[in-house]
Amino acid sequence: MWMVNLRVTSNARRVALILAVVLILGFLLLPGQLQSVFQGVGGPFGWIISWPLRAVAGIHDRIAGVWDSYVALQGFEEENRQLKRELELLKEQNVQLRESAAATERLAALLEFKKQALPTLIAAQVIGRDTGNWYKTIILDKGASDGIQPDQGVITPAGVVGRIVKTTASTAVVLLVTDPNNAIAGLIQRTRDEGIVEGTTNAQARLKYIPLLSSARPGDRVVTSGLVEGFPRGLAIGTITRIDKEEEALFQSAELTPEVDPNRVEEVLVIQSSPVPTEKERLGMPRPKP
Amino acid sequence: MKTLIYGTIIVGIVPVQSVLLPHLTLWGVKPDLGVVAVCLIGLIGGELDGLLVGVAVGWALCLFSAQDVIPGAMLKGGLGFVAGLAGRQMVYLSPLVLTSGLLVVSCLVGLVTPVVLKLNPQQDLWWAVWNVVLPQACLDAIIGGVIYWVMWSQFNIEQLMSESRM
Repeated sequence: MWMVNLRVTSNARRVALILAVVLILGFLLLPGQLQSVFQGVGGPFGWIISWPLRAVAGIHDRIAGVWDSYVALQGFEEENRQLKRELELLKEQNVQLRESAAATERLAALLEFKKQALPTLIAAQVIGRDTGNWYKTIILDKGASDGIQPDQGVITPAGVVGRIVKTTASTAVVLLVTDPNNAIAGLIQRTRDEGIVEGTTNAQARLKYIPLLSSARPGDRVVTSGLVEGFPRGLAIGTITRIDKEEEALFQSAELTPEVDPNRVEEVLVIQSSPVPTEKERLGMPRPKP
Repeated sequence: MKTLIYGTIIVGIVPVQSVLLPHLTLWGVKPDLGVVAVCLIGLIGGELDGLLVGVAVGWALCLFSAQDVIPGAMLKGGLGFVAGLAGRQMVYLSPLVLTSGLLVVSCLVGLVTPVVLKLNPQQDLWWAVWNVVLPQACLDAIIGGVIYWVMWSQFNIEQLMSESRM
């Protein structure tokens, strides 16, 4: 049976009540400021937590490695991995070639077309998944101290993985392309119709706002359009599996199978700088003529 | 001693939740150990402990998630505070009652969360209930019930509670 000592807790109870009221008032009256305070102070706090996180992830990877290599079929596993890598590279090459061909045709007339600079990429390893069930994210072992910032794009050689949404000093959180709260500007490679790629609740993606007159069909590839910060043009997002056209709707939409399976991704590349100028740069003050 | 235990829970919950628990899922949903830990700490340690540990645990978990920090910290803090208040009214709490209580509490927290987070319209309440709230509440209740049962059978809970509230 539990006996509760009421005498000794009256002060603690009062303090708890005051703290609770202060926090609730702060949340209601100054949500933005409180958020930035928590996020700012969270840097060192996150750095401390990242140590056991890396340690556990390291142990987990070693156990998983031993399991995959020795307990499971060793030869097949390695061969399969190599073939998958090869396939991913070939897929990416294929996408790049298609994109290059389309771009060459379209841009041949534009003499001022400048050679696109390759973006700076940072390699990072996946060390964990989202701590909750509401978002589909992965945690990377590189953070703000490595130059990673929110809104930077994350890719693999096969295609787009997601976008950085949060960083601590040594870790970063990536919102996956399959999360319904993520949106990336996309482009159907064959028809050049643009739209917005949004995740779905069944871990797929959907290209929205495709013009009604578009001739998009299942099998068409969708790539990044490069219109928003974070992703240069031409990175593979997914392949259309179904077109949805509702009567009296202003647009059609398409269901996509993402090129990258976010549940199996282990290493990623973070796009640190994009060759596409940002809106600010595009609309900036014109340079004086010499 | 109490500070050390709380510190270990706050620091250790993130690796467990993000690295190990994805392997222990029910229909793709993993338990929220934060809810379990905060409820137990609130019940045993009182409102202040529940509130402070709840805020810290919520904050730590949100730093490694896409979730906003403030709603997460507030929800867990509020949960710890309410658990502390509830613990004060309890004279006897069996593992079965705690398991049922955790099921209800986890469901309530799960129902409030999508409203607070302002998720995408695809993730409506009906979707949330069937795909996240119920499986998570079942897992939370089972894990919380097992942890409490172990504590209940190994330790003198009455003494532990009186000592921890001093």
